[in-house]
Amino acid sequence: MTIASQSPAEALVAAPRPPAPPASRPPARRRRRKLSQNRWGYAYVAPFFLVFAAFSLYPFAYTAWVSLHRTSLSDIDGGTWVGLENYRNLLQSEFFWNAARNTLTIGVLATVPQLCMALGLAHLLNYKLRGRTFFRTVMLMPYATSIAAATLVFAQLFGRDYGLINTALEAVGLERIDWESGTWSSQFAIAVIVTWRWTGYNALIYLAAMQSIPGELYEAAEIDGASRWKQFLHVTVPSLRPTILFTIVVSTIGAVQLFGEPLLFAGNGTTTGGSSGQYQTLGLLMYQQGWSNFHIGQAATTAWAMFMIILLVVGLNAVIGRLRARADR
Amino acid sequence: MATVTFEQATRFYPRTERPAVDALDLRIEDGELLVVVGPSGCGKSTSLRMLAGLEEVDDGAIHIGDRDVTDSPPKDRDIAMVFQSYALYPHMTVEQNMGFALRLAGVGKAEIAQRVAEAAKILDLEDYLQRRPKALSGGQRQRVAMGRAIVRQPQVFLMDEPLSNLDAKLRVQTRTQIAALVRRLGTTTVYVTHDQVEAMTMGDRVAVLKDGLLLQCDTPAAIYERPANVFVAGFIGSPAMNIVSGEVADGGVRVGTSVLPVDRDRLARASAGTGRVTVGFRPECLELGGPGDGLPVVVDVVEQLGSDAYLYTTPAGVRAGVGGSGVVVRTDPRHVPVPGQTLWLRIREDALHVFDPVTQARVD
Amino acid sequence: MTITLPGTGSTEVRPVGRAADGAGGRARKGRGGKSGKAGPVTYTLLTLTALVSIFPLYWTVVAGSHTNAELAASPPPFVPSASLFDNFAAALEQAPIGKAILNSVLVSGAITVGTVLFCTLAGFAFAKLRFRGRGLLLALVVGTMMVPTQLSVIPLFMMIADLQWVNQLQAVVLPTLVSAFGVFFMRQYLISALPDELIEAGRVDGASTFRIFWSIVVPAARPAMAVLAMLTFLTAWNEFFWPLIALTTANPTVQVALAGLGSGYVPQQSVIMAGTLLGTLPVLVVFTILGKQIVGGIMQGAVKG
Repeated sequence: MTIASQSPAEALVAAPRPPAPPASRPPARRRRRKLSQNRWGYAYVAPFFLVFAAFSLYPFAYTAWVSLHRTSLSDIDGGTWVGLENYRNLLQSEFFWNAARNTLTIGVLATVPQLCMALGLAHLLNYKLRGRTFFRTVMLMPYATSIAAATLVFAQLFGRDYGLINTALEAVGLERIDWESGTWSSQFAIAVIVTWRWTGYNALIYLAAMQSIPGELYEAAEIDGASRWKQFLHVTVPSLRPTILFTIVVSTIGAVQLFGEPLLFAGNGTTTGGSSGQYQTLGLLMYQQGWSNFHIGQAATTAWAMFMIILLVVGLNAVIGRLRARADR
Repeated sequence: MATVTFEQATRFYPRTERPAVDALDLRIEDGELLVVVGPSGCGKSTSLRMLAGLEEVDDGAIHIGDRDVTDSPPKDRDIAMVFQSYALYPHMTVEQNMGFALRLAGVGKAEIAQRVAEAAKILDLEDYLQRRPKALSGGQRQRVAMGRAIVRQPQVFLMDEPLSNLDAKLRVQTRTQIAALVRRLGTTTVYVTHDQVEAMTMGDRVAVLKDGLLLQCDTPAAIYERPANVFVAGFIGSPAMNIVSGEVADGGVRVGTSVLPVDRDRLARASAGTGRVTVGFRPECLELGGPGDGLPVVVDVVEQLGSDAYLYTTPAGVRAGVGGSGVVVRTDPRHVPVPGQTLWLRIREDALHVFDPVTQARVD
Repeated sequence: MTITLPGTGSTEVRPVGRAADGAGGRARKGRGGKSGKAGPVTYTLLTLTALVSIFPLYWTVVAGSHTNAELAASPPPFVPSASLFDNFAAALEQAPIGKAILNSVLVSGAITVGTVLFCTLAGFAFAKLRFRGRGLLLALVVGTMMVPTQLSVIPLFMMIADLQWVNQLQAVVLPTLVSAFGVFFMRQYLISALPDELIEAGRVDGASTFRIFWSIVVPAARPAMAVLAMLTFLTAWNEFFWPLIALTTANPTVQVALAGLGSGYVPQQSVIMAGTLLGTLPVLVVFTILGKQIVGGIMQGAVKG
């Protein structure tokens, strides 16, 4: 079907070729990738991956290696191979289980109310508001405050002798509470700090997702006679489900790693998490093992345990998400 | 200035079985304006992008002049391209947009300024040189995109549906201007469009593509007068050519209850082996005969355009509205029949196109 | 690195449709008009929340200007006093907060510049360049968002000990110089904000890949780069865990200095609070100026991610 000539007679083309062309096409296609494949791509991701490999990937693997050794901080290059002993010790250690329990309870206390409040707050922020920007900005202020600063302030507020909260309790005729020394009270207080810092942030995330819900859905619900509360329950929440799942995952990852708040809650940076470890978390335990007790190998084991917990949580969430998605279909 | 040659150029998209462009052979003469036209997904944009170097050539070769550019990156091809979305750099002024390629090529500042000024003058953009694309109208943006191409004085212009983002009126104006401009510059141009009117009005030659295959490439007149197959016959021309497929009977083709006469020689060759034939005739090639003289049809709808009138009819004995079986007739707008009326149509002798119903190819 | 992860993108879980130019545009398209006007209850609740958000920060000012005894009084003082400045002085004496602020500016600045640059480069490659293994590498980037900081600090600490970098600022800067979130954020932005044809036009015009990056991609990416810069700076400023390990109070960042504030034998609340205020003030000032943009950035990131 060569059409080089301009003379009409010759320029005519035969009918479309039959589906199986004669041996005109070589059996193996030439594969040229010079044009669309851009090797420069590697150069552009290289800086990221170099830094990432050196400071994340390599340490990540090396931590696994360290966790199989008895290594001390004073002699970090010369550990002795102990196989899974560190893991066995960890699982038999009451400190580990205590920290795991605390991490779980503080995590639940900090995450569940936080996300519920964030959802409600996002709903409120989604109304037509005067001072919209003001409210949004103010609610993000805690997020901009560092863990250290927030914890120090709240430690002051929750202080036994000079704390404003106890003063207030007394003013209404209740007894002063020694927040720091009690198990539940200290964990509650720490959960309050986390909640204070993150609620506004999550509310903004939910708000962003809410605003991408098409207005017709609400109009349809309204025509069907759904009240605002019903609309929230049956339109907003289902549409936000993936976002909610996402914030749950992210908050859980944060909760498993909880460290700065319990470290500074007593004000003086003790790694024990209270006199009887009543609010010692896994993150704090790991720090204590490594940098107070100098057992680097043990600390690495704890770090891996934390990662496993995160994987478990993320995996569980993925499974739940998939099941729900299937149920919806 | 240069010729462009596609030699068996083929493009497979990853993970597809059928090639997007299948062994394309095409030669575009120096200074020629070739319009590539076809329905969406026919491979017309892909073949242009292959020529631009934005798409791989999996098989075959492409030459610009004597140079084999099959594997060259776009910048080594000496081409300029006008994109459908114009792809103007949003943060650069009109002047910077037009001069960007020259700046990259290391052309001196003074020369850039001069060439940009010339192009701006041609395109009537002189007042807008310091504006950003955002501050321009659609038509102005289109001209900037043209300007960006012409300041480079390339060997070939590539235009990928450059008018499809304009409104209908502006599109008609601009297409004449573009055709005039590239002819004046004398630059070889490959112009891709899905609009057959654009193709017919602009092209020195028109190439019709379908499913990655080149069906016909010829002057607009030749394509109109002698479409190479049923698809081209139906694609070029508006309203489309009437195409009727039916059994051979009594020296013609059976249409409903009557027979449309076809000359014996072509009828024999087209229907060999199958006993069927496909014929086509354009709406303007029909004349109204007296009662009983010609093909009886029933008028369904009358479309008054002022200059013309089109009658949408159904041949007698054919169920109305059965896909593609209607016949469109162009007629004098001053004397139109009413819907429901029966007419007798005669086809002008030389205006009947005959096609092989199996290969779909034209039979002469 | 620590709990900053929530800022981290949301990859596959995100449902939300096409990205808009910003939170504002979205509001109009989305529910905006339909959500109805806020009633007095809404305003009351929001005002309460706003008070709760601000009060601890305000209390820092109050507590920073009164002695322990004054704070314990009933009713407690609710307005700051002039002794705040004396306590500033005391805090500056007790902890090297001035140096810490300078260090934090340097560290956060360097991290911000590095992160924005590297993430824009990588985000561009992931969004617009085709190369073998791209999908796999991107999955790797996304996967790292799950890895806790704790998992890498031990080898990192060994590394900087070997390099004699303990207490050196580069020990804090280098490991944080890239961010998986940033790469993902830039990628998502460029996919939606930079049409392929613009890059093709650049190629036809004869631009090299780097030239395309510099002259076409960077100008288009500027809004997202600004957002990423703000978020990165904030995160870097507030980074706690790793600086605490890598630095000492002799050469601290603000967070490390704050952590050291309370370690006196008899902690004096007012001095701690004054120091906390000093260390938080720069961020609060920046936040007051750029708050709107940061809010927009977070919401945009949430939808884009």
